[in-house]
Amino acid sequence: MGARGAPSRRRPAGRRLRYLPAGSFPFLLLLLLLCIQLGGGQKKKENLLAEKVEQLMEWSSRRSIFRMNGDKFRKFIKAPPRNYSMIVMFTALQPQRQCSVCRQANEEYQILANSWRYSSAFCNKLFFSMVDYDEGTDVFQQLNMNSAPTFMHFPPKGRPKRADTFDLQRIGFAAEQLAKWIADRTDVHIRVFRPPNYSGTIALALLVSLVGGLLYLRRNNLEFIYNKTGWAMVSLCIVFAMTSGQMWNHIRGPPYAHKNPHNGQVSYIHGSSQAQFVAESHIILVLNAAITMGMVLLNEAATSKGDVGKRRIICLVGLGLVVFFFSFLLSIFRSKYHGYPYRAFLLR
Amino acid sequence: MAEPSAPESKHKSSLNSSAWSGLMALGNSRHGHHGPGAQSIGLVLVFNMWKASFSSYVSSSEHVGRWFNYRSTHHLASHGFYEFLNWFDERAWYPLGRIVGGTVYPGLMITAGLIHWILNTLNITVHIRDVCVFLAPTFSGLTSISTFLLTRELWNQGAGLLAACFIAIVPGYISRSVAGSFDNEGIAIFALQFTYYLWVKSVKTGSVFWTMCCCLSYFYMVSAWGGYVFIINLIPLHVFVLLLMQRYSKRVYIAYSTFYIVGLILSMQIPFVGFQPIRTSEHMAAAGVFALLQAYAFLQYLRDRLTKQEFQTLFFLGVSLAAGAVFLSVIYLTYTGYIAPWSGRFYSLWDTGYAKIHIPIIASVSEHQPTTWVSFFFDLHILVCTFPAGLWFCIKNINDERVFVALYAISAVYFAGVMVRLMLTLTPVVCMLSAIAFSNVFEHYLGDDMKRENPPVEDSSDEDDKRNPGNLYDKAGKVRKHVAEQEKPEEGLGPNIKSIVTMLMLMLLMMFAVHCTWVTSNAYSSPSVVLASYNHDGTRNILDDFREAYFWLRQNTDEHARVMSWWDYGYQIAGMANRTTLVDNNTWNNSHIALVGKAMSSNETAAYKIMRTLDVDYVLVIFGGVIGYSGDDINKFLWMVRIAEGEHPKDIRESDYFTPQGEFRVDKAGSPTLLNCLMYKMSYYRFGEMQLDFRTPPGFDRTRNAEIGNKDIKFKHLEEAFTSEHWLVRIYKVKAPDNRETLDHKPRVTNIFPKQKYLSKKTTKRKRGYIKNKLVFKKGKKISKKTV
Repeated sequence: MGARGAPSRRRPAGRRLRYLPAGSFPFLLLLLLLCIQLGGGQKKKENLLAEKVEQLMEWSSRRSIFRMNGDKFRKFIKAPPRNYSMIVMFTALQPQRQCSVCRQANEEYQILANSWRYSSAFCNKLFFSMVDYDEGTDVFQQLNMNSAPTFMHFPPKGRPKRADTFDLQRIGFAAEQLAKWIADRTDVHIRVFRPPNYSGTIALALLVSLVGGLLYLRRNNLEFIYNKTGWAMVSLCIVFAMTSGQMWNHIRGPPYAHKNPHNGQVSYIHGSSQAQFVAESHIILVLNAAITMGMVLLNEAATSKGDVGKRRIICLVGLGLVVFFFSFLLSIFRSKYHGYPYRAFLLR
Repeated sequence: MAEPSAPESKHKSSLNSSAWSGLMALGNSRHGHHGPGAQSIGLVLVFNMWKASFSSYVSSSEHVGRWFNYRSTHHLASHGFYEFLNWFDERAWYPLGRIVGGTVYPGLMITAGLIHWILNTLNITVHIRDVCVFLAPTFSGLTSISTFLLTRELWNQGAGLLAACFIAIVPGYISRSVAGSFDNEGIAIFALQFTYYLWVKSVKTGSVFWTMCCCLSYFYMVSAWGGYVFIINLIPLHVFVLLLMQRYSKRVYIAYSTFYIVGLILSMQIPFVGFQPIRTSEHMAAAGVFALLQAYAFLQYLRDRLTKQEFQTLFFLGVSLAAGAVFLSVIYLTYTGYIAPWSGRFYSLWDTGYAKIHIPIIASVSEHQPTTWVSFFFDLHILVCTFPAGLWFCIKNINDERVFVALYAISAVYFAGVMVRLMLTLTPVVCMLSAIAFSNVFEHYLGDDMKRENPPVEDSSDEDDKRNPGNLYDKAGKVRKHVAEQEKPEEGLGPNIKSIVTMLMLMLLMMFAVHCTWVTSNAYSSPSVVLASYNHDGTRNILDDFREAYFWLRQNTDEHARVMSWWDYGYQIAGMANRTTLVDNNTWNNSHIALVGKAMSSNETAAYKIMRTLDVDYVLVIFGGVIGYSGDDINKFLWMVRIAEGEHPKDIRESDYFTPQGEFRVDKAGSPTLLNCLMYKMSYYRFGEMQLDFRTPPGFDRTRNAEIGNKDIKFKHLEEAFTSEHWLVRIYKVKAPDNRETLDHKPRVTNIFPKQKYLSKKTTKRKRGYIKNKLVFKKGKKISKKTV
């Protein structure tokens, strides 16, 4: 790049020479001198640029994301002679910072950078780098930045504009969204290639082989497959998981519980009927299971053949489970569904 | 009905009626020659009819597809069946139009049209509208009956009666069964339950007659609702699990083979379904199980001919080969394109994150959201906690048909967890299983101590292939045997405990009934076309803005006027105002919807260009800022932007509509793009002049609790045509272009006569002359023209 750029820069100087008025020789001499000096300066600049690009390319042959400290940041990202876009992630990955979002964002960023690094369209127009807070505190101060992670794009010319800061709050930090944003800012289209997640497959294969092995080991006594209690338990687990809204948790990803920042109170039940916490859904799961167990116990007490006293106790326990836990469930429902007029036997 | 079971079901029936008597205001008065079952079913039917009087706005109630269904039924009734099948609706999706006959499940319309035709042939003149209004309660009665029949097949008669009662009042189903709800789902749930009943019946008997009935019922289901895919996957799953459990029998073979072939051919007769049953992945499970069943039956046949050792090797080889071949061929056909892969709507049921990323139009519908536990409890109340117990009893006392109900429960509960809308398919099975649980408890605690009964006999159908079918599922015969065995006196729990248990259980059921009544009267009976609000003293205010606006459209606009609105209101405009719409609730063309979304979210000039190309005459927006109605277009606006961005990413960007802090605000801090887009301007036009309350500034939006940011809204290409009483509906007319375009800038003036008299800058101090536009030299600079 530098080698190609050099002759084209020199040409205007030559043209200027030709058009100069002929009479003033000393002046011309002076100008020539100046020109050479100027050209030298330009050459130096080009060399600098070439050097920088070379350095960056060398780095990128080793890893896809460069870690920058304050000096490097100023040299490669801030200092003007650039012909490349630079995406920078400002983050705090040190364990003592306890930034779990940073780690997740870093993973996505790695995926994106690797997709670019190993894509066929890879060129020296775009580089990925990162600045850790603990390595480049001065950079954070310089940019007046007080939150991490932040993604910024430094264009080849000029200063970053408002849109050059990635809107993390709204869009999230999925690699695809980052790629879209980069395509928007730099016209470089990156196809995100996620390394296939083998952990799920491995877990499944492990499970299958485990079950298969178990079946094989016990092939002489396969009675336990016909164990109805086991199957009934499994299906009840599915039912309880669904009716307590675990699928909602899976899709929406609510927090486990809410801690009020002012008085430190932890609330496990969400106030609105449109949402729920994870803890809340677990409570509901237990309540539902208890009511079901009560019903089963009631039946058990009536059908089993045994001591009458014992059966009476079972019966009362079952009844207690149903009544108490249903009242409890209803009271939770009442607290969430405002304006619900009815309440159960005991509880408000 | 056999003798010994009569007293049992009799006290069951009296229990049922007493439990429901408070609710239904109908005593246990009739002890005629009908069996007790028939009597209770009669009660349930009466209750369902009573539901018809629930809704006070019978002819105006509205749900998603209701208006469209009514329009097409009307078309069917007035033009005949063949005309309906060929109907090209040029009033929807302007300018594309929509082929209605081929893109709709016609079951509902044909049912209503048929009833109308029969009544009119009998010289009972009813309007088609009345037929439509009372179709849903009628069919919910039929649903109760089929639920009763199915539960009776699964457990016993008492459970069946309880199940019928439950499904008659359960809130999860009542939304589709009140009068005036004219939805596919209303009749589809009946068809679903009835198909399942006939399927269980045919598996039990193995008779072709019942299977053919099942196929016909399945055909009706296919004609009524897209949810038939649930049946065509659940029944093969049942057969497959039966094979795994080694419960294969000739009855299963006959039932499934007949069902698959006849059902396949029948389902392909529906124009909208067409060749889908052999071309799409959703139906491939059924075909695979069919092939597997044939292979299995063949091997069973071979078993009689071969030695045990030979057979075992052949069996494993054969089964694994067959399964592998089926699997590979499905994959191959999918890969080569003969079989369409899973469609997005179905795919999103498995990969739950899929819709959110890829199909915003599905994710934007509130019915497609996942379900919280609150909505489970709200829709099913006590049933949601007790039906696992019923499932437990079913699995503990398993037989062929209980395998079916267990699979039904597990799959339906999964689907209901993923999508609120599919709660509808869960509701019947929950009613059945809870009824089994409750009936089990009452069975043991309501009777006398002496007569304890065993749970219904397990495995009635394992070894009884050879028995004659009349005797096959008659439990009474077996019960008689057990009663005879149990003659020896056994110690009971004592009457006190029994009565306490019974009382508390009855209390629970009472609470359920009260809950259902409350939900029905509050949540589901007030239709969304007419909004009701309550004052402090409990009196009801009726906001009839929608009907007012649609009536205005109908009366004051040209018959062929095109109305642009967001798709939620498409069917309503077509049905109530009878005007042409651009997009409607049948969201088949995403790019057209995106175009409307783009028009709504661009500025007025750009929107005008789009509206001109789409020939729009009127634009309709819903605005709830005056009364605090939260379902208005500004709250839906981000979805419009998102859908528009999906198709036109260069022109519309979601981030432009947010403040730099990432908030969506309508007040002064909101983003300028938002404050100048068409939707904002149409919603808030002249709203800044309106002061609703002395405590708030003028232009205070009650829905979003903010003072609007752009109070000075002027239109260039639109004019306000109509605003309803509470500003809920606002309609704008799109002006035709002027004969002569007005210029944006002032006309250029060529000969300048200065209006003001020239004032000399000469003062007494500075007497030097002054040249206008004098060239000024600066040292070291070349003179260029620009500085002059």
